[in-house]
Amino acid sequence: MATFDPCAWCEEILQPYLDRALTERERAEAQAHLDSCRYCAKRYRFEEGLRQFVRMAAIEDMDPELKHRLASLRTPLL
Amino acid sequence: MGETPDTQGRQLAVEARDRVRFEEEALQLADQVYRVARRLVHSKEEAEDLMQETYARAFRSWRSYTPGTNLRAWLLRILTNLNIDRGRRQQRAPDTTHLEESDYFLYNRLEDDSSDSPDEERVLERLSQDSIVDALAAVPHDFRDVIVLVDIGDFSYQEAAQILDIPVGTVMSRLHRGRRILKRHLAEATVGGD
Repeated sequence: MATFDPCAWCEEILQPYLDRALTERERAEAQAHLDSCRYCAKRYRFEEGLRQFVRMAAIEDMDPELKHRLASLRTPLL
Repeated sequence: MGETPDTQGRQLAVEARDRVRFEEEALQLADQVYRVARRLVHSKEEAEDLMQETYARAFRSWRSYTPGTNLRAWLLRILTNLNIDRGRRQQRAPDTTHLEESDYFLYNRLEDDSSDSPDEERVLERLSQDSIVDALAAVPHDFRDVIVLVDIGDFSYQEAAQILDIPVGTVMSRLHRGRRILKRHLAEATVGGD
């Protein structure tokens, strides 16, 4: 029987934790571990920062000219 | 008893008003729709073509939109369907099992590679904007679609499932695997492969 490794468990639930997809109880257990484990807490904060960074980096706005082209696709008013 | 020309005229006026309202709301969402579209495809030109096809179709079939429901999700459903119709799916998703690592992998790689023991903000600073855009583009499309809708488009699992017409469980598993694949690519781009 493998012994329970709290850091491995915490790593496994990182994504559902940040997605707020854990049950109340799982979340409380994860929080308790994060409060006492610097190793996991650092990695959780990194993942949170990474998600924000991905969101910011991936944003590219459209040319105003495209918006005019889209507007011209409307049904003309008679 | 038939409709008088007067009621017919009134109905047409009501319909025209509803249509104009729909068109205005759809155009107001164009910036947000584009941000998602841009990351679903590889080039700016493809994204622009897709936007024009999407809006042309949306303006034609505006009657099938139910007012009060999520218009942005409705537009993106059209857009993702058109994207599939464009034959993108001919490209088979490569076997990605060997690309997957556990969730702490990227942090561990970035931390190992630096001389001192930095905090998580310093580790994050090692990533560049370009590396993120490239890494995202390299994620196989089934996984990327879900990441883009949820992490960039801010859609819920449920909404992403409806847009892509797949079960919610599939959204979650693709999202989790996709984010791991993304991190693997980022690790390779930043500190090199194994």
